[in-house]
Amino acid sequence: MKLTFKPSPNYRTAQSTSGIMWDLTMCLCAVTLFSVVYYTVAGGVSYGLRVVIMMAASVAAALATDAAYLKVMKQDIKKGILSSYSWITAMILVLISPIKASCYAIIIATIIAVFFGKLAFGGFGQNIFNPAAFGEAIIMNNFAATYAEDLYTGATPTTAIKAFGWLADSGKLNSLVAGYGGYGRMLIGGYISTIGSTCALLLILCCVFLIWRRDIDWQAPVFYIGTVFVETAVIGLMKGSGLGLGLFNVLAGGVLFGGIFMMTDPVTSPVTIPGRIVFAVGAASLTVILRGRSNFADGVLYSILIMNMLTPAIDKLFDGSQIKDAAKFRKYTLIASVCALAVTLLVGGLSSAKRPSSTAKPAEIPHVSAAAKASSFPEYEPSAEEISNDGTTAVYHTTAKGFHALNGGGEELNEADVTIDLATKTVKKVEITVFGDTAGIGDVATSDSKLAAYEGISSIDEVDAVSGATFTSTSVKAMVEAALNTAAAN
Amino acid sequence: MSFLTGPMHFHLDGHKELTAHKEYLKLPEPDDLYIPLVNGRAACRPLVNAGDEVKVGQKIGEPTDGFWYVPIFSPVSGTVVGVEKRMTTMLKPGEHLHIKNDHKGTAVRAFEPFDYEKASWEELHSFVKEAGMAGLGGAGFPTFAKYSKPEGIDLFIVNAVECEPYLTADYRNAMENAELMKAGALALLKLCKAPKGLVAVKEDKKDLIEVLHRQFDGTGIEVAPVKDIYPAGWERTLIYMLTGKRYDRLPAEAGCILNNVSTCIALGNAMVNGMPITHKMVTVSGDGVQDPHNVYVPVGMPAGDIIRQCGGYVGEDCLLIAGGPMMGKTIPNDQFVIGIANNGLTVLQHREPFSVKCLRCGKCTETCPSGLEPVRINFAEKTKDIELLKKLDIMSCIQCGLCTYICPSKLDVTEGVARAKRYMTLATKK
Repeated sequence: MKLTFKPSPNYRTAQSTSGIMWDLTMCLCAVTLFSVVYYTVAGGVSYGLRVVIMMAASVAAALATDAAYLKVMKQDIKKGILSSYSWITAMILVLISPIKASCYAIIIATIIAVFFGKLAFGGFGQNIFNPAAFGEAIIMNNFAATYAEDLYTGATPTTAIKAFGWLADSGKLNSLVAGYGGYGRMLIGGYISTIGSTCALLLILCCVFLIWRRDIDWQAPVFYIGTVFVETAVIGLMKGSGLGLGLFNVLAGGVLFGGIFMMTDPVTSPVTIPGRIVFAVGAASLTVILRGRSNFADGVLYSILIMNMLTPAIDKLFDGSQIKDAAKFRKYTLIASVCALAVTLLVGGLSSAKRPSSTAKPAEIPHVSAAAKASSFPEYEPSAEEISNDGTTAVYHTTAKGFHALNGGGEELNEADVTIDLATKTVKKVEITVFGDTAGIGDVATSDSKLAAYEGISSIDEVDAVSGATFTSTSVKAMVEAALNTAAAN
Repeated sequence: MSFLTGPMHFHLDGHKELTAHKEYLKLPEPDDLYIPLVNGRAACRPLVNAGDEVKVGQKIGEPTDGFWYVPIFSPVSGTVVGVEKRMTTMLKPGEHLHIKNDHKGTAVRAFEPFDYEKASWEELHSFVKEAGMAGLGGAGFPTFAKYSKPEGIDLFIVNAVECEPYLTADYRNAMENAELMKAGALALLKLCKAPKGLVAVKEDKKDLIEVLHRQFDGTGIEVAPVKDIYPAGWERTLIYMLTGKRYDRLPAEAGCILNNVSTCIALGNAMVNGMPITHKMVTVSGDGVQDPHNVYVPVGMPAGDIIRQCGGYVGEDCLLIAGGPMMGKTIPNDQFVIGIANNGLTVLQHREPFSVKCLRCGKCTETCPSGLEPVRINFAEKTKDIELLKKLDIMSCIQCGLCTYICPSKLDVTEGVARAKRYMTLATKK
């Protein structure tokens, strides 16, 4: 019998880090299982099997990376693997990848995520970036070319948001949501997204389970998902698509999966509760901005990675005593959250329905440059002459070549009357008078709604070409530019 | 507490069922007792010499300090052997008065019966001082000193919370001696001149609450059940739970004064029976002892004797803890003795936990009753960043142990904070 000395206290809770990780593993398995069933039902056994193979390949690659590292470092391999939890990284990596990603890409991304994303920083607990997000964002996205093309090609909801900009009216949103089977269907799953984002309901159940087991805090997922909802709902109200935009943004893409499984990664998020709230609100705001205004498929990954970089700064901000510095901490949290909200709503609310944003540019500069240039569209040979001028507005009769004329199909030019507001040098109205192009193709670009896009512009750079009718829309643009240049010269 | 902070406490499994409802044992008194000549910081010089005969209740030690004044009384009758150095619960050697027990139990009445209702404030105050009353919750702070200038106190609190796991000595003591407790509590209520008193007790101790209601209803002291959380018995947490107030240094700033329930009972015993603190109710519990029990033992009895009479140790490698497992210290030698402020011996089988790296989960921050950030303190301690340590307010730590308890990675978080405090003390002394 011996009596041992140990520093106090000598009493510990039953909950362990390994226990937390096994709970997480269980939840990730449930999500994976649902995906296997969903893809099997939707696309056949080969699809379901694909999920299983990807998962097996990734987990095997992660464990092999760990084992190789431990072998080289001459550490206990079994203990090392059991306290590195790399299989979680692998599982998350697969669940945030699209079904069409190739196994080869998944394996490479896993190895790099585990090695450079985690082990290179000193292993579990030391890494700066969420390793799965690191692998996905930095590696997987560079393997887009290896994606198997024969699988699903339908647009995911998040790419749909991108195509529509901020979804300017409720009609568009409703038809979009209906295209994915309605909100109810989106909740229980059944649209194409990343592998793990199939069933929103299951993800929410996982979240409740993990909070109940005290594996994760409620603050990070609730503030992240809540902020995404509030911001997009307010933008929706400002833009006329209503609260539905908020609901759509929460259910679509990786917001739920990211909010529940990645925002809550303790290693890469701040240690204090106010820190986690600022982290979540910041990531949510970035997600909304990236979704609406960037080229990324979904903003979730990048927003988390960007906030990961800010984690040390946030920790520093909330260093102190939670009792004595309570007022200061409240103030910091409020200021940071309000700033994030305000920036997002400003970007979302002030911008037009179409990209790129015109509000940021001063009106004069593109106007002058347009006047200085003879024409941006020389081969279209545009021309403009003033046919009426009442001092405040002027109407120009404009002509330009279209697809037909450019390709030697004849001399029929497109003709339009362009009304310019002389005070602001902006376009008031565009009316096609003679349509010399191919009916059925070019007239997509001359429909009333497409012509309405020219209204209020001061530079032709503010209008995008209409896909499928490039020549005609460029012809219209050439005519409008000619009118603007003539008005500016006078 | 807003949603920006964690709960700052945690419910932990107290394992109190091991001892709470068992009859307490009056252990046979040992042949040799070693009475510590220091109570807390109150050092005493012996009033007796080697060879002197002493009786139960006889004053044998006179404090050398006027403020830390807790005189010592003999717990047994017998012969003084001399002054010896032995290890104390502070893990340092200290002077003890060795008494050979004659097992006759010849007693003197240390004090005349005292009626606190008729006595003046000054008489009561001096009685408390001479009777050697001290904070029996563990700190051993002289009771009279706490009540020297009772100004602006509007709430007197009897702390019967006993939030340390395993310990049930206060509970058993209160159940057995409710009338003495009532007398002591009312005397202290008079001493602090507060208009109102509360007995704080954990809400799950239904039988004690019932007993307390019978004693205190209509006396100006109310029964206040509190949640079963750790550390509900810490002054700051208790006052915050009862009044919603936080304070900077002393409870008096929040208009409160607290005393442990065992102190009330000891004072009641001194007034009614005329006897000082000669014996203690001590919980012997844990999975490392054969027969967990509350025991009633004389002050100065070695821990090893007590454990042997409870069936001895279980297992080959044990942690012997003076007090409960959260704040009590492990002592690798069972020669130390029970002092007046000891109320527990916890014996746990020693198992090394599987510990992994810190995952920065922040649970230590959320549960810290002082509102500190132990994970950040451990980080700053490693880098010896004194400015950051100051900012992190580390001196507010009371080493309650909750950060180590809660840590899922099984790290010695509290020890890291304690190291930081030691480093800070050294660095700022220069």
